[in-house]
Amino acid sequence: MTRIMEARAMHKSYGQVKVLEDVSFDLEEGEAHVVIGPNGAGKTTLFRCLSGETRINSGSIMLNGQDVTGLAGWQRVQRGIGRSFQVARIFQDMSAFENLIVAIETRERSEKGLWASFGHIAPRRAVMDEAERLVHELGLEGTLDDPAGTLSHGDKKRLELAMSLALRPKVLMLDEPTAGMSPSDRSEAVRLISDVRARYGLTLLLTEHDMEVVFGLATRLTVLHHGAIIASGEPHKVRADARVREVYLGQH
Amino acid sequence: MIDYRVRFRTNLVIAACGLAAFAVVPFVANSGLLFLAGLVAINIVFGLSWNFLFSGVGLLSFGHAMFFAGGAYGMALITRHVPEMPFLLALVLGAACGGLIALVFGVVALRRASGVYFAVLTLAFSELIHILITKTTFLGRNDGLTGIPRPVIELGFGTLNLTSATAYYYFIIIAMTLVAVMMWCFQNAPAGRLLQAIRQDQMRTAFLGTPIQGWQLTAFVISGTVAAFCGAVMVPFTQIASPEIAYWTVSTQPILFTLLGGAGQFWGPAVGAILFGAIDYGTRTMHGLSEITVGVLLLAVVLIIPGGLLGLLKRRRAAASKSARSETAGERTSETEAGK
Ligand SMILES: Nc1ncnc2c1ncn2[C@@H]1O[C@H](COP(=O)(O)OP(=O)(O)O)[C@@H](O)[C@H]1O
Ligand SMILES: [Mg+2]
Repeated sequence: MTRIMEARAMHKSYGQVKVLEDVSFDLEEGEAHVVIGPNGAGKTTLFRCLSGETRINSGSIMLNGQDVTGLAGWQRVQRGIGRSFQVARIFQDMSAFENLIVAIETRERSEKGLWASFGHIAPRRAVMDEAERLVHELGLEGTLDDPAGTLSHGDKKRLELAMSLALRPKVLMLDEPTAGMSPSDRSEAVRLISDVRARYGLTLLLTEHDMEVVFGLATRLTVLHHGAIIASGEPHKVRADARVREVYLGQH
Repeated sequence: MIDYRVRFRTNLVIAACGLAAFAVVPFVANSGLLFLAGLVAINIVFGLSWNFLFSGVGLLSFGHAMFFAGGAYGMALITRHVPEMPFLLALVLGAACGGLIALVFGVVALRRASGVYFAVLTLAFSELIHILITKTTFLGRNDGLTGIPRPVIELGFGTLNLTSATAYYYFIIIAMTLVAVMMWCFQNAPAGRLLQAIRQDQMRTAFLGTPIQGWQLTAFVISGTVAAFCGAVMVPFTQIASPEIAYWTVSTQPILFTLLGGAGQFWGPAVGAILFGAIDYGTRTMHGLSEITVGVLLLAVVLIIPGGLLGLLKRRRAAASKSARSETAGERTSETEAGK
């Protein structure tokens, strides 16, 4: 297995509040790595640090063997990261279709250079076709022309997932992809995510709250508690870990 | 699904109708009204340049006068000191003055400030430029630069004499139409879509792999360049570049046009500028009445129809098309596409 992401000795604090303390974290190619932990454990912060939304105070982050510690989020995205947010971020006033167009055109701009943006007004045929493919893959057919802001919670999440996929990332990072969903939507989402992972050959990194989702998706499980990793490994082994049971699983 | 071709054609027709309406003015109006119409045409694009920034990328500028004045003074200086320079090249250089101001300011300010803080910085910088103009002898201090001639353009196969106000008026409305159409195209092309994405959600756009600040700066420079082009085109028309055009009240104008006409629509500032011109004309004999009227109207628009006049129109149409949805399906697309 190749190591796609490797973070060493990360420290992150917001002012006086230490959120991550000496966190080292690996992501192997092809795995579905789920990070769990009680609310406030620092999962979202870990996401932010790895994706480049915020800089770490000390430590290092490698992506595909390159040091990306000092790189901004958009630069890490161009090196193969795609991510979603805990509360789905989409372009509210654009239609769902336009959201996808923007994502695809952005990828083309990164791949082919700035000039891919000029010389035409409407999106190119290939871009439109690709957007339509994504629409079908993720089941967004009914909602294409509506402003994305009016979509249901689940559709927003799906749209955001589709936008991330449009970037053709190597690593897909999803922060609580099923948060706020009904149980039936949730199992639907799990199916979609594992589908997508298989089809695109993605490496997944996600945080999750729901245990069914966790054990439905994870090939590796990491438990974060008070900003430190207390266990990491195969899901059934982590589940059996006494300390983990005590601080987290026992509560459920 | 969005029909991009219909959208493009509709807006081209809107631009052509606007041009045609302005082209009729010299036949039906006196020289005073002609002069006003020329200024309104310039103001339309000035307003579009501001709204390109505000609604197009989400940057608020309270200092657009600095670009307008930059273009006007650039043009005036060139015409005075390098009279042999071809007119169109002078215009381009005048516009570049505004672009340069935007670049210098944007590089410094965009890194440090956003939102209202950014807006206040634009206001401060614009005031600085106003003061600089009134204190610099080279720029004519409080008197400005006067006696700017209108051009005679050499075309190779003949000359185009624009020295009369009417001839120059036609040049203005054609130039402004071209720039407006170019702006529409830019805003609806991939780069414009990306800028719109930045306005709606910076974080999301960054995590699609886009350097936000670079694009914001680009938009700022484009807006400044277009605003300066307006200033540069105005100077031979009024034949003067005076410090008033660098004053903060000029910065408020495109904001007023946009709020009146509707920020959410591409042609909103155009509608606002025309309305503003009409009010100016209707109240020209009574000093101060124009400001009061505009103030009251603005208050009314902001409180009663927050989307501006075009926003109101669009909502009406949307409501009408909803009720007619069962009857006709075909016509509706072209209606809702208009003005996007
Ligand atoms: N921007 C911030 N400023 C200050 N404190 C923060 C900030 N973001 C998160 N925190 C704190 O860091 C801790 C971890 O938060 P978070 O990473 O969101 O946890 P999780 O996602 O596991 O619920 C919390 O105690 C939270 O209050
Ligand atoms: Mg969280």
